[in-house]
Amino acid sequence: MDNFGEPFSLALQLLWGFDQELYRIIFLSVKVSCSAVFLALLLGIPAGALLATKRFFGRQFVLLISKTALSMPPVVIGLIVYILISHSGPLGFLDILYTPNAMILAQFFLVLPISIALSNQIFEDLNNKFKLFFRSLGLTFWQQTTAFLAEAKYHLLTIMIFCFGRAISEIGAVILVGGNIRHLTRVMTTSIALETSKGNIAIALALGVVLIIIALIINSISHLVSHKLVRENKHVL
Amino acid sequence: MSYKKFREPDCVIARNITFEQGQYKLLKNINLSIPKGMITLFVGHNGSGKSLLMQILHGIIKPTDGHIDSISAKEQRFVFQNPIVLNRTASKNFDLVAPFCARNEKLKWFQKSGLTGRMNTHAPLLSGGEKQKLAFISVFASNPNLIFLDEPCANIDYEATQFIEEEILKARECGKTIVMSTHNKSQAERLGDYIILLERGKIIENSEKLDFFKNPKTESAKKYLKLA
Repeated sequence: MDNFGEPFSLALQLLWGFDQELYRIIFLSVKVSCSAVFLALLLGIPAGALLATKRFFGRQFVLLISKTALSMPPVVIGLIVYILISHSGPLGFLDILYTPNAMILAQFFLVLPISIALSNQIFEDLNNKFKLFFRSLGLTFWQQTTAFLAEAKYHLLTIMIFCFGRAISEIGAVILVGGNIRHLTRVMTTSIALETSKGNIAIALALGVVLIIIALIINSISHLVSHKLVRENKHVL
Repeated sequence: MSYKKFREPDCVIARNITFEQGQYKLLKNINLSIPKGMITLFVGHNGSGKSLLMQILHGIIKPTDGHIDSISAKEQRFVFQNPIVLNRTASKNFDLVAPFCARNEKLKWFQKSGLTGRMNTHAPLLSGGEKQKLAFISVFASNPNLIFLDEPCANIDYEATQFIEEEILKARECGKTIVMSTHNKSQAERLGDYIILLERGKIIENSEKLDFFKNPKTESAKKYLKLA
């Protein structure tokens, strides 16, 4: 790498030249992370809401586990998923080791505690604020759920972005369960690690720049959406 | 808590209501009945338990001990001391509380309260008084038989207070039961049929308005009337 601008121009060349391998890697990275985040939110948001609004035996234990999992190193999560899905593991029959599905599973376990803990905090606050009001109106469970979701939409969007950022930037777990196999399980982060180890710093940096661009695009979209929603809601006659 | 229809003229009957929070007894052995079609006013100093007792009577907080007999929850509404609005327009907030109110009726309520120009305003952006008026008209438009008003005039100006008082009196004329708390002695004199004085979670005096203001039975009531 002769100068600092080289990786940026290389990144643009790769992107502009529609480099097939690069786009395959980008597509797989986004697909794996989006799937993992979607599944984690699908389970995590209702779980967080349930933990916030209902009191049941074992609630504190579940909260403790989800908060502990927040600080668990991704590579440990990867190792646990690896053990689970390896051929002798309890989920070995799924036969997904070294496939994108294994990477989705690893990222899912990585972001699930985040979605549970953050949505729990949001719904806890909302519940404290609106609990008596909703009880007074005699709203049904579904009416309350809809009202809570409408109140929390901006926060949930933020959780989604946070989870996506965490998932797409992950390397330890996906390299363990995905194996970084070319044309099959190679994603942005594992490619960066590989190119760096091969001494191709410029390509590694170029891939890093691409990763940053993707993050920027996704954040810009969500920022625009939330800004539009806020503007619509703050319309004053 | 069971809800059942029972003999008139009582709309709500509370028996031996106690409420504890940790080591503190916030309400102590409360026994009372709320007469139907009347305005019952809770008075007392801050922290005497007025709001808590009203929320327990409304059925949204469970007492530690005791029993409430009341009309069905659907026939009751509550206006909170600090009005709660959702993250949507004033009009949509109104719809949530009074979903069956006709469009022209709704417009009338907004007009009467001086909120017509704020119908499409994002409700959290309304001032404290506007939020209070919005909560008030939404509840009245939903046409309940029993209305709890927790210091409904706390955040509002003279004109709005007048509007609220007029609507309260109109509601009573229509046979609605009003349970309200206030710190305003002259308001209590203007509106109340029955006055209940609370002190440190206990009912000190429960009597008709004239008796309460002319011949208070207890020293606490005399002291309260002097200070209020």
